[in-house]
Amino acid sequence: MRVTNMKKAISQTQLFLAIMLAALLVAPAAFAAVPGITGPTFNLRAGTEYLTQPDGSAIYSWGYGCSVAPTGYAPSAIANGFCSNMQVPGPTLIVTQGQNVTVNLTNNLPAAAGNTSILFPGFNVTSSGGQRGVLTQEAIPGSTVTYSFTATTPGTRAYYSGTQGDLQVEMGLYGAIIVLPSSVPSDCTSGIHASNATAQSSSSLAHPGVAEHDFRLAAAAYNHPGACYDREYIFQFSEMDPRIHQEALQQSTRNCTACMTVATEPYVPAYFMINGRSMPDDMDPNYAPQYPHQPYNGNPHMHPGELVLLRIIGQGRWQHPFHEHGNHVRVLARDGNLILSSTSSTELNLAGPLLFTTTTTPGQTIDGIYYWTGKGLNWDPYGHNSGSGSTLPCTPDGNGYNTGAPTAINYFEWCQDHNKPLQATPIGDVAGGGPVTLPDPNIFANGPWFGGSPYLGPEATIRAVGSTGTTPPSGTIANSPTDEAGFAFMWHSHNEREITTNNIFPGGMLMMMLVDSREFVINESN
Amino acid sequence: MRKMSPLFFSLVLVVIMTVAASGQSFQVQCPTSTITHPNAANNNSEPDYSGPTAFNLGTKGYLEPTGNVNGAIKCQQISGGDGFATMGDGSQTYLFAFGPLSGLKDMAEGKPGTQFPDVFNTTSNSLVPGDPATSNGIVAGTWPGFPLSTNGLPFNGAVGLAPDADAIAAGLCTAPCLDGHVDTRQIMDVGVMNGNMPAPLMAIDEDDEFFLTLTNVGQVMRPDLFEQHTVHFHGYPNASAFYDGVPDASVAINIGGSFTYYYLAPDAGTYFWHCHITPPEHLQMGMVGQIYVRPRQNRVTGPLRDALVAQQGDPRTKCDRSDILCSNPVPAINSAIRGTDKLGTSQKYAYNDGDGTTAYDVEYPLQIHGFDPNFHFVGMTFNPEGFTDMKDKYFLLNGRSYPDTVTPGPLATQTTDGLMHFSQPLPSIINIPVGGKALLRIADLDVTEYQTLASLGIPMTVVGYNAKLLRDQAGNNLYYKTNSITLAGGESLDVILDASDTAKFPASSVFYLYTPNLDHLSNDAENFGGLMTEVHICGSVTGGNTFGNQCAN
Repeated sequence: MRVTNMKKAISQTQLFLAIMLAALLVAPAAFAAVPGITGPTFNLRAGTEYLTQPDGSAIYSWGYGCSVAPTGYAPSAIANGFCSNMQVPGPTLIVTQGQNVTVNLTNNLPAAAGNTSILFPGFNVTSSGGQRGVLTQEAIPGSTVTYSFTATTPGTRAYYSGTQGDLQVEMGLYGAIIVLPSSVPSDCTSGIHASNATAQSSSSLAHPGVAEHDFRLAAAAYNHPGACYDREYIFQFSEMDPRIHQEALQQSTRNCTACMTVATEPYVPAYFMINGRSMPDDMDPNYAPQYPHQPYNGNPHMHPGELVLLRIIGQGRWQHPFHEHGNHVRVLARDGNLILSSTSSTELNLAGPLLFTTTTTPGQTIDGIYYWTGKGLNWDPYGHNSGSGSTLPCTPDGNGYNTGAPTAINYFEWCQDHNKPLQATPIGDVAGGGPVTLPDPNIFANGPWFGGSPYLGPEATIRAVGSTGTTPPSGTIANSPTDEAGFAFMWHSHNEREITTNNIFPGGMLMMMLVDSREFVINESN
Repeated sequence: MRKMSPLFFSLVLVVIMTVAASGQSFQVQCPTSTITHPNAANNNSEPDYSGPTAFNLGTKGYLEPTGNVNGAIKCQQISGGDGFATMGDGSQTYLFAFGPLSGLKDMAEGKPGTQFPDVFNTTSNSLVPGDPATSNGIVAGTWPGFPLSTNGLPFNGAVGLAPDADAIAAGLCTAPCLDGHVDTRQIMDVGVMNGNMPAPLMAIDEDDEFFLTLTNVGQVMRPDLFEQHTVHFHGYPNASAFYDGVPDASVAINIGGSFTYYYLAPDAGTYFWHCHITPPEHLQMGMVGQIYVRPRQNRVTGPLRDALVAQQGDPRTKCDRSDILCSNPVPAINSAIRGTDKLGTSQKYAYNDGDGTTAYDVEYPLQIHGFDPNFHFVGMTFNPEGFTDMKDKYFLLNGRSYPDTVTPGPLATQTTDGLMHFSQPLPSIINIPVGGKALLRIADLDVTEYQTLASLGIPMTVVGYNAKLLRDQAGNNLYYKTNSITLAGGESLDVILDASDTAKFPASSVFYLYTPNLDHLSNDAENFGGLMTEVHICGSVTGGNTFGNQCAN
């Protein structure tokens, strides 16, 4: 008995891992951004479809989708956007502060499911049509309700069903609404942020002639100089108990209205998702054709020094401690409200905490800023070597970074450690004399996101350990030594059992943040 | 369902040699001097902080310190393997665990096992299996054999460290030639089944270089596994992916090898560390430890604010509003100076506050965790464990449940080798000198749920969260008072218990820390125990400012 179980376990695990590996091998480079649809009028429908999970299962779910083609898609740098008849999370609604927003919701759920609705916490909503429910006006099966509100303040907020939420939110009826500030502080388009933009342009010596697109929805999350950013990503956390979905499916064909009785307790979720997908699916592209009803991914990339805006939303019913490896996150705002220590809008007076674990709470949003620079490592992560041709000047600014020349290959390098060796003996074309002796590479195992050396970027890695790095066969991993060689930081739920998919590790709420050297062109458009 | 079969390894975690092999599989590293700390004679103690380090661009092409060299060198060695622990209801629980392979005496006394080079680089010929418990006279059948004397084993050096006879013979080194070469037999004697819960405690100071050697001794109870282990320094700002301990994003050491992690100490704060191999399994099974970084302000002479202003002179230690991830900008002008604490030693602080508001007299690391006995039982067999149904039944403060939390000294557990091993070195007894302040460095590593810890009596002042001072960009402190804190696995927090009101908190009074998650006040089937410990107000505290000290009324 035990042996049988073991064999079964191993074979299932290997099958899963083989699939995962295959996905890694064939997937094109896939990055994230914050894709969504623009309004200010949105024609949504609530419908049913199946969500795919990396264990091969298809889970009957409910979600919001587009009843007709939306006004547009954003950011414009992503060309292949779509909004299907149902998706999880629902379409990310992107509007600008001051706009009058109208959302028409048509209920295409099974009649047995009864009414449905949308709540927009944080906005003063008026509604018309439909039927009065407990929390809001509801759309009865087959008909439409209209919600209207003015997007008075910027920020990231959640929207979700206000009807029998314990079932309908569990089934997938949730999404995000992003309000862009009506004006952007000049600080966000000058100084260091202008330099960061130059470093992404085709004039950069790190990728001459090739420009990185700007995938931001705006240059600031709020009209405040502390809210500038250079990249942005969204992370919606939710979980699913497959039993509930199965019972809903079984009752979906009952020939009666609002007669579904699905117990939502006891609650034993087995799928833990970020943006509607479990790892490794979340690292496939946005709008990947294999996920027609899960269009959004979670696969952040960045360059050293860039300020990255995280839009984090708790969408399920549990809290999840979202641990960002690599650095802290400055919490800017909660539920679209900037956290400041005074009312001055021009002073840098942010008062939100600095967190390495940002707890997600159902219905709550966090806007936060993250960066990574390698400051203080006490060795040169670029493997510069004063005795070789790889030497570049590093001139510290007031904060110690090489920002004076935005087109430099080593723009934003931390200068105090420039040329400083890590290893006691030379490795490749990287100098010795450092504090550490690395062990014989035969006695350690390498991961699929290992860049191939302790150094950042393909140029440094190739100089250090040759064209394949220490992770052969070259090019068959997720972070190629010859192409990317980024520093990969795992971002995941620290309720560690949630980085599993239906009892299989790895999976669930897990992704990699890749910090890429300047040479690597980040293309979030997939 | 478990993961990583050997086949998976052959598919994905491929290993290759492109660099010349350097040295043996087991080794330790603890250089006596480095680029950053060039004078070996100064690296065995913490010098006073006298200003930002002066650098000069030498002939080697990089900056070398020329004055005001701050900090020192610290080293530690740990084993990665397995062991057993004793739960509050007396049952023995199997662990995947880290154990101490340096600082054995200090660890047995409830202190961090981190050492300066002149202590780490010493040898012992007398270590035997089960140490430090065996040398301390703990024999099977005497459980719970505490309180324990540690007189039997005064050794704090690196287990296994031995003269490198080959290097001496080759004329590369003169005796005793302690260059990191180790006697593998001594490492296996001491390291096998020496797993601790929590994993070995570490403490370093800002400006230190820290060399942490992880030696993978294998898991004798699970010969079917070929587990690597790693160290993830949870919360380190601007971490390096290489030393981040995530096996997917870096390298992981196989059984029979050692890997030395290297960091310059990050900003002061309460961090923690854990293995990052299959986290839902290895964390649940016990591979979770604590590390904290003491602030530069502990080494300041003179006004605190002036010292913080001086730190702005080095871009590495600078922290102002131009950096959105700066948590301790210079506060308003004040006259705080560093004085003497209630133990008669120089005042200690949690952070570089510049105003003295994080001062404390005693400090105690507290780790919140949970064990699911079913998962641990299955983890001892060759069967795959399920994750979805994981349900903690033991709720642990520093690896123990009440009443073991208030038992002084290390807990010992007999393991399958028939020997007693120190399994849970840290009690959770909070001794506060009357009128004093205790810093609680609380870290939560539970893998299944949030837990709350409440203070019955002394209010909690939260001064830090996730290893950062609570202060806005304008320099105003955002501390708050509360009677409970709630943490998820993966969070840490700094609480000061302020007992300075001697009318409310007189000597010989006892208060409690306990969880209001009332179902967590249990030890599996026993409806008693769980996440709870005692706070003692003492007429005097002797024997140090952390665990292992004594309370006199």
